[in-house]
Amino acid sequence: MDTKDKNPELSSPGVMFPDSSITPLEVDELMRPIDGVMRGIPLAEPGVEPDIEKAPLRKKSQTPLQESLRRLGRDKRAMASVGLIIFFILLAIVGPPIYQHIGGLYQSPINGPVGPSVYHSPFHQELTNQDLSFSSMYWLGTDDLGRDLLARLMQGILISLTVALLVEIVDVGLGVLVGVLAGYYGGWIDQVLARVTDIIFAFPGLLFAIMLTGIFGTEADVVFAPIPLIGANGDARLILVSLALALTVWPLMARFVRGQTLSLKEQQFVEAARTSGSSNAKIIFRHIVPNVFSIVIVASTLNISNTIIGEAGLSLLGLGVQTPGSSIGLMIAQGENNITGFPWEVLLPTIVLTIIVLSFSFLGDGLNDAFNPRSKD
Amino acid sequence: MVQFLIKRFIGLIFVVVGVTFITFILGYFAPGDPIRDLLGTHYNLQTYLALKHAYGLDLPWYTQYLRFLGNLFRFQFGYSFQYQNRSVASILAEGVPVSAELAFWALIIQVGVGVPLGIVSALRANTWIDTVNMGVMLVFFALPVFVLAVFVQVFIVWIDQHTGASWPVSQWGNAWQYTPTDISYKLAPILVFAAGGAAFFARLTRASMLEVLRQDYVRTARAKGLTERAVIYRHALRNGLIPLLTVVGLALGTLVTGAFFIENVFNIPGIGYETIISIGTRDYPVIQATVVLLAVGVVVGNLLADIFYSLADPRIKIQ
Repeated sequence: MDTKDKNPELSSPGVMFPDSSITPLEVDELMRPIDGVMRGIPLAEPGVEPDIEKAPLRKKSQTPLQESLRRLGRDKRAMASVGLIIFFILLAIVGPPIYQHIGGLYQSPINGPVGPSVYHSPFHQELTNQDLSFSSMYWLGTDDLGRDLLARLMQGILISLTVALLVEIVDVGLGVLVGVLAGYYGGWIDQVLARVTDIIFAFPGLLFAIMLTGIFGTEADVVFAPIPLIGANGDARLILVSLALALTVWPLMARFVRGQTLSLKEQQFVEAARTSGSSNAKIIFRHIVPNVFSIVIVASTLNISNTIIGEAGLSLLGLGVQTPGSSIGLMIAQGENNITGFPWEVLLPTIVLTIIVLSFSFLGDGLNDAFNPRSKD
Repeated sequence: MVQFLIKRFIGLIFVVVGVTFITFILGYFAPGDPIRDLLGTHYNLQTYLALKHAYGLDLPWYTQYLRFLGNLFRFQFGYSFQYQNRSVASILAEGVPVSAELAFWALIIQVGVGVPLGIVSALRANTWIDTVNMGVMLVFFALPVFVLAVFVQVFIVWIDQHTGASWPVSQWGNAWQYTPTDISYKLAPILVFAAGGAAFFARLTRASMLEVLRQDYVRTARAKGLTERAVIYRHALRNGLIPLLTVVGLALGTLVTGAFFIENVFNIPGIGYETIISIGTRDYPVIQATVVLLAVGVVVGNLLADIFYSLADPRIKIQ
């Protein structure tokens, strides 16, 4: 299984491989153009003449992190993705409170006079206003129960991002902890990690998540209901969804980190630290952990789009957020029922999901290029 | 080679035991009492105990697991909690042909379309053909199957409404039959299902071909005056396609999980669809059976791909 460890090329820093025996090619680098330009050396900014006079004045050379960020800044696709991601984060967090203050009093035939804080709530059903098109009252229209689509969409994006955040916390936390320990100390932790990853790789991750959420879903609704913020409105199942998704991804992160740790601990600066009497703990926290940072950032960003897809997929199957809550997947599932009459209701969440997923993928690719310029070859 | 096979086989058994154990233990600790759900509110203790015994639920957990495992090897998946007189096997028998048909055609199209597209892209690397092709493939690759499905469905609805055609938006038709009606049902789901994998194969083929085209033996072939055609088809292509074998396992994995979404979005009565229905009715034996079946299928597919890989390319060191 661990054949890759013996291959110095693959365990060299900067090359990201799941240590699996079945992946000789890296998927993420398949898109790179092949040309004759030398790799890994940042070329001078076009149009900027190197100023010989000023050059000696530059006191400090750039740290690798600054250099990576500079490379990232030049990646237009990645920067556009960053912009979109920031836009969606803002939309999900500050969008709803603003939207719920826009609009006048509405004389509802059923509910009497209601303000925008009611009819712009993602859960309020205004049954006389079903399947409306865009209007000044409902900016993106309403669904088949008379709920505001923009409000539901913003709530859905918030759900997607929350799940992504929860999953990444577990993913990075467990992945780095186990990966560093397994790589640094080897031994039984390494053995257990290898076996666990074998099973996880064999078991299609979403299948496991489907099963876990399917079996324990209704129970989770009850158990997690008292939790503030997340417990209400059918969102209680999010914790289970996040857990299920996190369980299937952390071993992969641990493998990345382990591979990186294995090569780091043979490097001279670690040996130097050891010779000068640093304890294992100090070596791990001062020398190993900061150096796995780039791998963790890239892998977790790329993983976010998978997580968002996973959450939307589970909600689509009815295993995620429950009504009256809102999630992009749930909106797609509900829009599906209305596809012949009002295709907009299914198109809207689908388009937004597409943009979010592509943004995170492009950003992940951009980060990969920025932090591991050699992987372009 | 024999040693490699033995080692891989032991690994396989380990993984299968792990997968079945996880599946079993989740079902075992599943909340609720299925027997009570089955009996409703009025029953006597004797019936309850008899039924519990019939399902083997009164045994200790390790005995239950061994029975579960033993039955799996004989393709006996027990009885559905929901339909008392139906075995899980008979439920699977309805879904498996449909899912298998969907996956079969999707895989054929994935390889049949993806690989040539990848080759074209590699041979025309960095031209506009390559850029457009790989741009489209990147989008297909990054998007989940249900997103593509929705776009296609909306497109079908639009066609139906604007041309008066009656192209079905969902359902499947008869399994493994290809009358025009059947095809009209199957075309859209199969194409959507194939798109992501085709993109995957195209990207992989492109990368692999570019790698091979840089090799010395290709330069040698060119230097000794072979036609470009012979260089590409006889020397580059054959070697460039070998690594694709290794990802057949990965492709299988995506086909399996994708089936859940595509079958649910298009209302196709395959095992993914059945599983989701079983989850709704808490029919654990059906869930366990489908999950084990799919997971073991992926594991075995991976193993076969690895073996083919080492057979096809003797340079691969077997350890």
